[in-house]
Amino acid sequence: MKMPVTLNINNTTWNLDIDANATLLEVLRNNVLNQQSVHRSCEEGECGACTVLMDGKPVNSCLVMAASAQGSTIITSEGLMRGDELHPLMKAFVDELGLQCGFCTPGMVMSAYALINQWEDEELSDMDIRKAIEGNLCRCTGYVNIVNSIRRAKQAKDAGNWW
Amino acid sequence: MENRETRLISGKGQYADDLDFPGMAHLVFVGSPHAHAVIKRLEVDKALKVPGVLTVITGQEMVKYTNPLPVQANFKSKGWTWRLAHVYAMPKDKVRWYGEPVAAVVAEDEKTARKAADLVEVEYEPLAVTGNALEALEPDAPKLYDDWEDNKQVHLKFDFGEPETAFEEADQVMHIKTREGRVTGLPIEGRGCVANYNLKKDTLEMWGSFQTPYLARHNIAATLGMPEVKVKINAVDIGGAFGLKIHAWKENVVALASKLTGRHVKWFEPQKDFIVTGPHQRDVFWEGDVAFKNDGTLLGVKATVTHDLGVESTNKGIAALSIFPACSAVPNMYRWKGMHIEGVGAATNKSFYCAYRGYGKDKGIKFIEHALNQIARKLGMTPEAIRLKNYIQPDEFPYHQINSYVYDSGDYPGTLKKALDMANVDEVRAKKEQYLKEGKYIGVGVISAIEPAGVAVPNCQMGGITQARVQITADGTIEVHSDRTEIGQGSEASHAIIVSNILGCNREDVLVKPVTSDYIGQGPLSSRGAVYPASAVAKAAKILKKKVSQCAAAFLKVDEASLVMEGGLIFSSNNPDEKLTYKELAEKSYFFPGPRGLPPEILKNHDHLLDVTTTWYSPTTPDSGSSYTSFCTSADVAVVEVDIDTGATKIIKYAHVHDAGTIIDKQIVDGQIHGGIVQGIGEALSERLDYNEKGQLMTSSFSTYLIPTAVEAPDIEVAHLETPSPFTETGSKGMGEAPIIGSKAVILAAIEDALTPFNIEVNESPATPERVRSWIVAARKEQEESK
Ligand code: FES
Ligand code: FES
Repeated sequence: MKMPVTLNINNTTWNLDIDANATLLEVLRNNVLNQQSVHRSCEEGECGACTVLMDGKPVNSCLVMAASAQGSTIITSEGLMRGDELHPLMKAFVDELGLQCGFCTPGMVMSAYALINQWEDEELSDMDIRKAIEGNLCRCTGYVNIVNSIRRAKQAKDAGNWW
Repeated sequence: MENRETRLISGKGQYADDLDFPGMAHLVFVGSPHAHAVIKRLEVDKALKVPGVLTVITGQEMVKYTNPLPVQANFKSKGWTWRLAHVYAMPKDKVRWYGEPVAAVVAEDEKTARKAADLVEVEYEPLAVTGNALEALEPDAPKLYDDWEDNKQVHLKFDFGEPETAFEEADQVMHIKTREGRVTGLPIEGRGCVANYNLKKDTLEMWGSFQTPYLARHNIAATLGMPEVKVKINAVDIGGAFGLKIHAWKENVVALASKLTGRHVKWFEPQKDFIVTGPHQRDVFWEGDVAFKNDGTLLGVKATVTHDLGVESTNKGIAALSIFPACSAVPNMYRWKGMHIEGVGAATNKSFYCAYRGYGKDKGIKFIEHALNQIARKLGMTPEAIRLKNYIQPDEFPYHQINSYVYDSGDYPGTLKKALDMANVDEVRAKKEQYLKEGKYIGVGVISAIEPAGVAVPNCQMGGITQARVQITADGTIEVHSDRTEIGQGSEASHAIIVSNILGCNREDVLVKPVTSDYIGQGPLSSRGAVYPASAVAKAAKILKKKVSQCAAAFLKVDEASLVMEGGLIFSSNNPDEKLTYKELAEKSYFFPGPRGLPPEILKNHDHLLDVTTTWYSPTTPDSGSSYTSFCTSADVAVVEVDIDTGATKIIKYAHVHDAGTIIDKQIVDGQIHGGIVQGIGEALSERLDYNEKGQLMTSSFSTYLIPTAVEAPDIEVAHLETPSPFTETGSKGMGEAPIIGSKAVILAAIEDALTPFNIEVNESPATPERVRSWIVAARKEQEESK
């Protein structure tokens, strides 16, 4: 059964006709939206590869029914780019080699973005970072360079280099 | 050119799941709910009636249209036991493990295929299950393969050096038993591919998460009965592999589906299927004796390692092959008199065995490192003292180990001492008494390891020979080809660094191409990357450099010996003002090389094309039979705290010193180290593939198969030594496996040290909290009773 849904994805409003039982992950990856940074792995909400921001909060898009996202604002990691320019957070991942195979990365980036965006304090400890990405599994990096990337991104934000 | 990381992070990755072709159909497998059963009836009619379903393939079709899976390693000739099974990519009449695919549904879209897959009806007659290696070897165990005498698939026997003399000279002999649980490498991305059979040309092309496209082509072509030249395999971006994507098995079914439907067919594996029907590793029992002198001098080992290989079904012989390094790695980095090691492999009703970071080297080293710690404890030595006493010394290289390995270089004592310093071991030990008074159980683990890297073995598909091509194109940009797929380990960046360093060109002008089956080689397995492909690429670049200097000297009319190549420019040191860019050089060489451009000798020799394809093979393997060329060294020191009430282990400090010879790129090497260490920690503490008595896998998701999260993973301190290898083109050694070898052993050693008051030998992994608790409870009971 098809049903209409309105989603704001990376600052564009879409009126979509979707399968009533489609997940947000499926809708984002489909031929129309083509958000290929949103990766599919466990489809059970356990790995975080499919993490996107829904109304500012990181969610596992494989667990969200697209129909229930009606009217919400979704940001994927593609949405952090400014044209061809990497977001300072992404730049930090590249500089610190916070990615190896890159499969967990877009989801990781979204969890990190949510963390840094809402973090008011000066101080951001490594354990704060680790806790914020606990739901994003990475099998390649051992997380060390990911933590380094996020710490560096926080410094970028503190220096006013952020959007 | 945009680097790979920038491309990936901006969402331009092209992973298997991103593949999309017009008119592409989708394939979904139907798995067996039984571990061992006869297929009585298989009904596909209901599935076929679902609108959008194109076909359903079963074992019947596999037998009709394909060949049995090809043999990949065969050591029958050596007088050892080496059995292979005659199996197809899907079985016709019997299933042998939980999840084994019995049918594949092909439909217009994945959802329809999944829906129809639920409608495939299979009637099974369950058979008795063989649950583990020890059971499998019992005389009356249910047999997996009717044409085998029993379930013993492999029995290898090795005599290294003089084992008898070693035991005659011993003051003491210690009996050691260890047990490692079954694990899987579990990249976050499952396997996946698209196949396109071209009916008009009778050709097959595939794209997907192929770690070794050249081998995949050979095996898929053989299975489909096609000439290899008509098959092409392309690796796309791969979401982690660690050895788990080297084989081609379900991919054969996808290829057949394309042939039968004439459509592009895609398969992307749900993560659960990757665990249930993916390659597994470890699952070994070690038992044996170690001979030594009262002063701690090591003499010899007599031991047997028994492997639970699971089914012998998908990559014939390659699984069993990992028994070789398990046996051969036992000597590690020490001097010995002799060893007798036997490797046994039993077939059981579990998913198949294949490569995962370590591939057996880890097993031999973990066993001997555990033994050394027990001996040290018995002799009242520290773990470092016994190692320092027995190390091969820096001036003894190249060192011919008793097992035929030729160790290239290293500073074993220096590596260990550095790690001990980094972890402040003396300080921690000095406070141990105090900690105990506070009820804190703190332990220090010390492990050192070699990493045999860059494999080449006869009698199997891991033959070694590797090809590379470096071409300066007509516009001066440079393309590099090899067998080294990028699986996140920095292949592309490393190759680009090697080539730009040798040619003095700009790194941004070098493009390392995605790997296809067009170039020969077995891919980046067994830490071959920095050994074989990197050497082949370096060799090609060096030959190319000669051509560049020949041509450039002619164009610039200067003496070849005076040429300098740096920063993308070529000039004579005698006249630095007259320069050629690579673009200018290429243009002149390709398009205007005429009589007045290049000297006749160059033209006559056809030496002017700036394109070199070459191969590389180990300088040591042919004479010594050493199946590895380089031996990276590492030392791991971990400090842990064990909560004796919960059994939980917390890692307080982790120090790793690494010597991989000349470092191509430190950031990449460090990344490999971090990742390997954390995988090893998972193996030591939490990862376990648990089968129930019916042979069903109970831990088949991320919530039950527990890989470390960011919170569980520790901070890791890394330091390097750089002892170049004399046997590779770049001085670099293969790396990437040492970290997992050391970490899984060192965590257990540290737990054992923390539990010293209970006198517990930690010889079983994973050391889950429940298991640690049970050890403590048992030890307390024993202590009570002895009172
Ligand atoms: S795919 Fe959504 S959490 Fe794993
Ligand atoms: S970079 Fe490969 S899973 Fe994280």
